[in-house]
Amino acid sequence: MTTETASGAGSAPLAVGSSPVRRPIGRLAPLVPGLLVIVLLFLVPMGFMLVFSFMRTDVNFNLVPDWNIDNYARFFTVATYVRTFLKTLLMAAAVTTAGLATAMPFAYFLVRYVSPRLQRAILLAVIVPFWTSYLLRVYAWQAILGEHGALNQVLQAIGLIKEPSALFIYNDLGVGITLWYLYFPFAALALYAALDKFDFSQFNAAQDLGARPDQAFRLILLPQIRAGIITACIFVFIPILGEFLTPALVGGASGSLIANLVVNFFRGAQYAEGSALAFVIAFIVTVVLIVFRRYLRVEDVVARG
Amino acid sequence: MAERIDPIELMPVSRHARRTRGLLAILTGAMIAFLYIPIVFLVLFSFETSNTPGLPITGLTLKWYETMLKDRQIQQAVLNSVIVAAIVAVVASVIGTMAAFPLVRARLRFADSIRLLFTLPIMIPGALLGIGLLLTFRRVLNVELSLATVIAGHLVFTVPFVLLIVSARLQGFDRRLEWAAADLGASPGQTLRHIVLPLISPAILAGALLSVTLSIDEFVITFFTIGPQPTLPLYIYTSIKLGVSPEVNAVATVILVATLSVFGAGSVLLRSGRRLRRREAR
Amino acid sequence: MADLIRDLSRRQFLKGAAAAGAAVGIGGIAAACSSPAAPASAAAPASAAPAGSAAAVSAAPSAGPTGTFNWMTWVDHYYPEQLSIIQSSLGIGVNLTELADNADGFTKLKEGSSQLDMISGDALWVPHYFETGLIEAFDINSLDVAKQLYSIAREFKIWTSPAGYLGYPIGWSPVQIYYDPAKVSPTPDSWEVLLDPKYVKRVVVENQPVEVMAYMGKFAGVKDPYNMSPDEVAKAKDLATKLKPNLLKFAQQNTDTVAALISGEAWIATGNLGTESRVKQAGGPDLKVFTPKEGTIGWMDSEMTVKGGKNTQLIRPFLEAAEQAEYIAANFLINQRPLFNEKAYKLLINQGQQDLADRYLYNKPETVLTMTLKGPGTSTQGAINAFNEVFGA
Repeated sequence: MTTETASGAGSAPLAVGSSPVRRPIGRLAPLVPGLLVIVLLFLVPMGFMLVFSFMRTDVNFNLVPDWNIDNYARFFTVATYVRTFLKTLLMAAAVTTAGLATAMPFAYFLVRYVSPRLQRAILLAVIVPFWTSYLLRVYAWQAILGEHGALNQVLQAIGLIKEPSALFIYNDLGVGITLWYLYFPFAALALYAALDKFDFSQFNAAQDLGARPDQAFRLILLPQIRAGIITACIFVFIPILGEFLTPALVGGASGSLIANLVVNFFRGAQYAEGSALAFVIAFIVTVVLIVFRRYLRVEDVVARG
Repeated sequence: MAERIDPIELMPVSRHARRTRGLLAILTGAMIAFLYIPIVFLVLFSFETSNTPGLPITGLTLKWYETMLKDRQIQQAVLNSVIVAAIVAVVASVIGTMAAFPLVRARLRFADSIRLLFTLPIMIPGALLGIGLLLTFRRVLNVELSLATVIAGHLVFTVPFVLLIVSARLQGFDRRLEWAAADLGASPGQTLRHIVLPLISPAILAGALLSVTLSIDEFVITFFTIGPQPTLPLYIYTSIKLGVSPEVNAVATVILVATLSVFGAGSVLLRSGRRLRRREAR
Repeated sequence: MADLIRDLSRRQFLKGAAAAGAAVGIGGIAAACSSPAAPASAAAPASAAPAGSAAAVSAAPSAGPTGTFNWMTWVDHYYPEQLSIIQSSLGIGVNLTELADNADGFTKLKEGSSQLDMISGDALWVPHYFETGLIEAFDINSLDVAKQLYSIAREFKIWTSPAGYLGYPIGWSPVQIYYDPAKVSPTPDSWEVLLDPKYVKRVVVENQPVEVMAYMGKFAGVKDPYNMSPDEVAKAKDLATKLKPNLLKFAQQNTDTVAALISGEAWIATGNLGTESRVKQAGGPDLKVFTPKEGTIGWMDSEMTVKGGKNTQLIRPFLEAAEQAEYIAANFLINQRPLFNEKAYKLLINQGQQDLADRYLYNKPETVLTMTLKGPGTSTQGAINAFNEVFGA
């Protein structure tokens, strides 16, 4: 407890006084299965696709090792790709903000004011609907939000609007709402897991010391669950960059996001061209994540005690 | 873990708190209700007479449930989806949780990079992953495609979620609890089992639930990594030429009801089990 | 319902067809079972209610090979009762894998052919499979059941090779344009109606980039919209730009199209045969349909034998059974697009379904020769890029 070496390697607490400067390889053993999955089932497959991205698809849909960077150049020379990418970033940012804003009160309420058993029940109740087919749920949303759907009928019945509105679906707003609906449980679960470790008696202490509730929330709670907030952001923002089904179903003619453009190539068996686009995006995002890695750190920086 | 909450935990802290708590309760309730609105329609469509799910409802019938009971293909598809999702959830939770510990605590020099590496699969569109996995399985590993390869493929995008959520929980974990256990004579293994894991179990559970969610409706990667077996999302998403019939709504409704019942029954059993044990302990 | 077929055929089978050997005469069975007064559903042509004449027991002797084989196909190539009858009467089972796009199926087969025995494919994809060495040719005339096909179906040039025929033909459909006559006037006859500024956000097309560009190519007068020159692609792209404001959405599945037409959100849509009756059956408006005068694209599909499949010896007996007219007629009533089995057409007439069959061009398989067939082409990449430019941000 007196030395900062007390927070040592691996999961086992060390006896006070020992110095774990040397890190036995055994401490890294639990990481191996995960690394195996990533190396064998991600890096190798991506290696294939990376090699393909420098080849060309001929008219017979064969990949020809006609090495070139045209597929990469396409992203920068054909304006639609950059524009769609920026639009996707905006959409992802918007949905992430909305998702976090709505998931936070939900998770907070769950952790603070609900007994553990009921917490689990509510979590399950919230997530089980997401185990039904996404396509079927979107069809249901179409029936609700469509021009002659349930929402319009209700709004007309209560006199809020005179004519049915095509506002709610088959446009960017529809995509945003549906994405928020789809990713809400991701944000909620991430925040729930993070809030769970927070010691709420700190609020009592803060009140004793004269802090207002919002000050307590902002200055005590948020910093301590920062890792959870970042995780929630990652859970929503990053997958949206790869989302193509929702824009296709509810985006209308102009709702395409960048993954739609990539998938269009894939469905036409143009694997070289599609892979290159996907890698450009992944590269850009990776660079951003590296640049901001200090904010994303999850290491045990502060050794308690 | 104690089932009871210390009353002081639930006690409102400020004079606004009671109002805030009420507001939050209403918000949460509204959220849950909102999440179920499309479900209500989904279930409703499973009873309609027309061959296409949707409004208007021209009549009600049970024929889709009858069709479902006779449709061996769709039943097998559901079974496969459930098996895959369950195995993926368990394996991903184990692998992800295991990996979180060294990443957070071992003071690795490349911890950031490794964590970034684990985040990469999330941002790749499924089509790329699917084809890459197909090539890897067939050309590099030379294995036949089957449900096992599907499970392996699903692990790629579920393990990162578990890892991220558990490592976020582990960061700032109060090590004093572990040191106290050690002082009291617990071995590292015992500390892990009785102190650490129970305390981070909500995070592990969250990761497992997310893994099921990701796996059970996945169809792109599944298509490229599956052998001659059906899964439910494959069945649904490939009905492009002629669309789906309300039979799939019937299937979805049955799955929904079954899952909720299983969890409901499970929690009731657990509760009575604990009560029995507590009684015995006296 | 289709279960009427199953019940009747099981009765027939047990009665006396269990003997090995000869195919049971269709006439004999038709005479033996009275044409049943199927419940009211028979009156509604759109419902899945074949007024069941018994499904014939297959021509293969029951001492033939048994086992299970793997088939990747679309869901409209079979129906569940058909497979369970064949399983119980012949001992041939099927492991089905669903197929979405030809390209995906092709990629998958290329990497793992030993796990597939039979695969379905469209039009010009079939010779592509053959050229890549993935499928085997066979002598179509050696199959008894092939005699039930329209002769034109056994002689498609694109499916003929020196080594034999490349696939067993199943069905086909052109892409047509559907419209609500109450909302759309004057009566349209051209692709132009999709672009007419009167119909902003009232049009639905499929979410298939190459096909959408092909529609535009057809409108621009291109003869082969799958092999367009860069100039032709540019013309199609201009037209697609005009199409964009009219589109309500891209349909992911036929269900999407049907739902939009039912609710009245869309007044015009492209689709395969049968869409308008699906709309009507679900309570939607009466739609009219036409083939654009500039010509259209379409598909026809067939079953191909995989080269190197482990259980391909089961395919012949399976086809002999599964492609019998009774099953095909029932398939037509379920899915409502034309099939290549001529004998099934006669059965449909007997069942009083001639109107329906004629409406869906069942007896006009030569229509296939007037449409541009789907398949790999030289302008795929250009078309996709043009599509992305138009419909991206």
